[in-house]
Amino acid sequence: MVGPVDMGLDFYRQVLNLRAYRQQILSADIANASTPGFKAVDLDFKSALAAAVAAPSGGTAPSARPLWLVDSPAHMTPASASSAPASAAAFVKYQLGSEVTLDGNSVDLNQEKVKAAENAVDYEAAATFATQTIKLLMTAVTGSQSSSSSGG
Amino acid sequence: MSLFTVFSIAGSGMAAESERLSAVASNLANANSATSSAGQPYRAREVVFRAVPAGDGGGPSSVGMAGVEVAAVVESSESLHSVYDPSNPLAGEDGYTQMPNVNPVDEMVNMISAQQDYQANLEAFNVAKTLAVRTLQI
Repeated sequence: MVGPVDMGLDFYRQVLNLRAYRQQILSADIANASTPGFKAVDLDFKSALAAAVAAPSGGTAPSARPLWLVDSPAHMTPASASSAPASAAAFVKYQLGSEVTLDGNSVDLNQEKVKAAENAVDYEAAATFATQTIKLLMTAVTGSQSSSSSGG
Repeated sequence: MSLFTVFSIAGSGMAAESERLSAVASNLANANSATSSAGQPYRAREVVFRAVPAGDGGGPSSVGMAGVEVAAVVESSESLHSVYDPSNPLAGEDGYTQMPNVNPVDEMVNMISAQQDYQANLEAFNVAKTLAVRTLQI
């Protein structure tokens, strides 16, 4: 049963990784709001997630993955933790349409703050869904409260 | 982890903005300093920001990320003000004294801008903190 359990959580892991990555990009924009010549960037989240889901980090489909062996070096390194943002870096794009100041800076502070707040809510949503998925699995494992209490 | 890079990026932003605020405070405090340790009238200081690669030694999770640092503190090249004040011991033969080139309006605008940028960085920092705590609760 490793396959289905892993698949449900794997998706949220990708989402949380990418949301955290986007948060990082947006705070870099905010930090450089007054840096001459700095151009604002953003992550194309939709495309990045689609690519991350289409090409799993391990290279094999989750269902085809063997049971975890702790002596295998491939399983000792957190593959997705490091490789997901690296491949997501291809989806970081310059923001178009924002006003460029005389010193060549294109960061719109208000817009960045709104985006960061939005991204934070999306991150929390994904975290909540992940929590719910785990709770669901726990229910499947332990059974309902009423039957366990009556049985015990 | 990406969220911890946010801390260092936002932290670099706050450090840079507070340095900018220091420059503003220095300029306003010395708006009437007709002489300085160099013997010349005080000249307005300006900080120059530069984007620097952020995070933990350029690992994959920090690709394309940039914190900010103060590249240099430069002196304003605007001309000094001449004020007619023959009683001033620093006045020249013609009775004019050279006064600093600090423009209080510029400084106030700079101060407001620095304040807003600092607050935005603080906000980004706090959001990252909330998200990190939320992640622990999964």
